[in-house]
Amino acid sequence: MIHADRPGAARVETGASPVAPGEAGKNVPRFDLVERLVHWSTALMMLTLIVTGAILYLPSLALRIGHRGLVENIHVITGLCLLGPLVLALAGPWGRRLYADLRRFDRWGAADFDWFKGASRRKGVARDKFNGGQKLEAAFLGSAMVAALVTGVIMRFAPSSWISWATGATLVHDALFFAIGVAVLAHIAFALSRPDQLVSMVNGRIPRAWAKSHAAAWLSEIEAPAPEDPPPGRS
Amino acid sequence: MAEEPDRRESRQPRAIAKPAVHVGRRTVLGILGLTGVGIVAGAKIDSALGSSISAVSSAIGVPLPGASNFRYYTITGTYPKINPGSYELTVDGMVKNPLRLSLADLRSLPRTKLVHRFQCVTGWYVENVHWEGVLLSEVLQRAGVTSKATALRLFSGDGAYTESLTLSQAHLPDIIVADLMQSANLTSDHGGPVRLYVAPMYGYKSIKWLNRIEVTNEIVPGYWEDNGYPVDAWINGVPER
Repeated sequence: MIHADRPGAARVETGASPVAPGEAGKNVPRFDLVERLVHWSTALMMLTLIVTGAILYLPSLALRIGHRGLVENIHVITGLCLLGPLVLALAGPWGRRLYADLRRFDRWGAADFDWFKGASRRKGVARDKFNGGQKLEAAFLGSAMVAALVTGVIMRFAPSSWISWATGATLVHDALFFAIGVAVLAHIAFALSRPDQLVSMVNGRIPRAWAKSHAAAWLSEIEAPAPEDPPPGRS
Repeated sequence: MAEEPDRRESRQPRAIAKPAVHVGRRTVLGILGLTGVGIVAGAKIDSALGSSISAVSSAIGVPLPGASNFRYYTITGTYPKINPGSYELTVDGMVKNPLRLSLADLRSLPRTKLVHRFQCVTGWYVENVHWEGVLLSEVLQRAGVTSKATALRLFSGDGAYTESLTLSQAHLPDIIVADLMQSANLTSDHGGPVRLYVAPMYGYKSIKWLNRIEVTNEIVPGYWEDNGYPVDAWINGVPER
């Protein structure tokens, strides 16, 4: 990617080669374009849903804003689209990286459980790309989005004879409003207090130094030689 | 986009020592399982715990899930503010004596009280709401419905919302033209100064800001009925009696 054709720049990285160990100030790729597009489109829809949901649910906002039909239509249409980017991204080979990260959210090692013990009691096991809190947050928000979609569809589209299920769906949907609200606020607060990780969701890259201290297991994984498919251009 | 990291990372993550514990999968299954239980059993849970949740909810001033919370509906941009002093209820159409009733006129008629749930078709409800007003049948009797009439068309002061009832439904003893709710004047937010309260049917039948009753010989579907909800809005799909 950079300077590969410049004489004397022999060991400088190319886009295709892993970052050489020990290069201070270097970045490593953390999120690809597909992952970032999924994140920001889903985030925008999620914020829209939280704001319109609050207007529909909280009497003080409902009475101040009015226009319930418009707000409801925005909420319902946005809700029906919420999982669209994720599904589109996972539908083809362009989503390999995203799929690999979803697998990471599922698979927990000792370091992920340790993360919850508090900084002073952590054992210092090398961490994965995401810590236990991030993995739990991702699993929760992913399933909460599906749960909100199912209950929302029942509330809006179920025949009026399903009233018992509609009442149950309303109870769950209302509870999800609070749970998702807390999870998203926590997510935003963590992101704002960790600029390296926030920036990595914008430009896809994170300082190698960050990875070394926060995600050492992941770093050694991506920097390990990959004998079965060597980078193109090397012999 | 760099191609190489994609390939690397799409292989099985090596950062997790085997055997990895599938916490993510369990979390997802747990949340979705709870959701299923909530949908199927939520109405039962709500009727068992609703009053306790409501007590906490009103103590802390937050509309908690499962509490008896009204949701405020309007199909226009605003909640019409109608001056009780100049309010009039018109009863016209197929009647012998068309009426224009002020709030004072309405209050001089025989009063009826109901304590009943307000049930929205989308699932939420508020238990034990105290309603007070005049039986719809009482109003119709004063107007003198003609023999060929079969239905009512109901109009709202918001200028947009309409509703309908058959004449036989309109004579049920739990349909009132309400001006008091929870022993206080009906507020504008709840459809005041006067709304209809149709106890045996879903909330959309209980037209807010009621200002005109037209007696007709055909059912004209109302606002929500044009949007797919049943004209006969019996709760649970059948009349209670």
